[in-house]
Amino acid sequence: MRVSNVSLSYGGEPVLEGASLKVGSGQFVSLVGPSGSGKSSLLRVAMGLQKPFAGSVDLELPKSDIGILFQDDALLPWRTARQNVSLGLRFRGMAKQQALQKADEWLAKLGLEGFEDRYPRHLSGGQRKRVALAQVLALEPKLLLMDEPFASLDAIVRTKVIQDVVQLVEREKIAVLLVTHDLEEAISLSDVVYLLSQGPRARISNEYKISIPRPRDLVRARLHPSYAPLLEKLWNDLSDEVQGNGNGHVAKGPIYMAAE
Amino acid sequence: MRTLLHPRYALLRQLATLGIVIAFWEYAGTLGWLNPLYMPRPSAIGIALRDLFLDGRIWPHMQATFTAALGGLLLGVLAGIVLGIVAALVCLLSELIEPIMLVLNAIPRVILAPLFIIWFGIGLGSKIALSFVLVAVVIFFNVFGAVKNVDRRLVERIVTLGGGRWSLLRQVYLPSITASVLQNLKVAIGFAFTGAVVGEFVGASRGLGYLISFAQSTYNAALMIALVLLILVVVLVIFALANQAEKRLMQWR
Repeated sequence: MRVSNVSLSYGGEPVLEGASLKVGSGQFVSLVGPSGSGKSSLLRVAMGLQKPFAGSVDLELPKSDIGILFQDDALLPWRTARQNVSLGLRFRGMAKQQALQKADEWLAKLGLEGFEDRYPRHLSGGQRKRVALAQVLALEPKLLLMDEPFASLDAIVRTKVIQDVVQLVEREKIAVLLVTHDLEEAISLSDVVYLLSQGPRARISNEYKISIPRPRDLVRARLHPSYAPLLEKLWNDLSDEVQGNGNGHVAKGPIYMAAE
Repeated sequence: MRTLLHPRYALLRQLATLGIVIAFWEYAGTLGWLNPLYMPRPSAIGIALRDLFLDGRIWPHMQATFTAALGGLLLGVLAGIVLGIVAALVCLLSELIEPIMLVLNAIPRVILAPLFIIWFGIGLGSKIALSFVLVAVVIFFNVFGAVKNVDRRLVERIVTLGGGRWSLLRQVYLPSITASVLQNLKVAIGFAFTGAVVGEFVGASRGLGYLISFAQSTYNAALMIALVLLILVVVLVIFALANQAEKRLMQWR
């Protein structure tokens, strides 16, 4: 996937200016940045849910090969876990029985065996997140776009869910573009991290290559010798951005938090 | 004694209290403390109720009221759903429908009863019309709100999973509408019976409302209270049925 020179504005206020990035096949890419830098908006453009003011997104893939995961799990409350997971498969014309069976397989892969007939209300936050993941992964995407998908989970559940996602993504060779404000998460998961500058008129101010070997283990990745220096550098660059004297664009005027 | 105060026995305590009140009422009546013209004894009310069923003359009246209430309920729910969906989705029509509904919602709609009797006669038509207007307005606003406030995130989810318009309707809109209608079904049932009974009260030759009006004109308080009790029981039974339907269709809650 290639994002070229995308600019965005909200109510005439420029939010994002000329952002470019690319995600190679099987690559895990993160986009980090301060609040209001328009990182979620950039992802929404990539998802085709929002039109850019200028620039373009070339997915280099058919739309059906792209999976999308938001912060909220957005499961249909009136459908069971199994029915929710089977939705996308049904939309692609798979027969009902087959779709339900495949849904069960994916639920089992994500550790939800025995919860197939539960309604979302009767699942925990982590379980709902896993159902939402199964829903997306069941479509066997080649590229996964995620917008802070784990933000609502508590620390322990979060680590476990992320670990499972990393394993699945590595095994199925799925490319990922993850939007997050969690630097540690970005470094320990990604091959490349892009840093967005402070908005308005945010742009991509830096690109970091991460060479921690795969397969990754979330906890062990943090013990890798390159982890700490990277985190420090990213943190310093990000603080510079927030203070408005980064090597990106210098923020002028009011900072619009709502733009995120 | 302590165990009787346990919350589990709340119903028992309520029934016992009711029993005591009725017994005292009956006793006060036999002692002549209450004028039977205004406040007949419970036993007199019981006898009036029994007589209604014994000679079978209650059935045609029950049938008339039920037909009017259920007819109005069915038509009102259907019209409310259709108009609600149309108004929520088609802006131009919402400009027309919404103000009418707002006006109908603002007035006590039972004041239309005399007008409906002029328009539709003293037969079934005017009762169904009144029930219909009472129900349709309530359901309209619920469905209108349900469609307007449908969870955008669910809509986006279905779209990103590759679902089209039909899938959106089937997976998101219809369940939202069903939920809002079921939640308000009891209010609608109450309104449907209000419409039927008030319509009969204003002008009819049959129905429970007509019987109440008859009891009033003959100063038969026992019959009147018996009829109120009868309507109460009927509506409670229908509420229980509606509860069952809601439970079955709303398992996901």
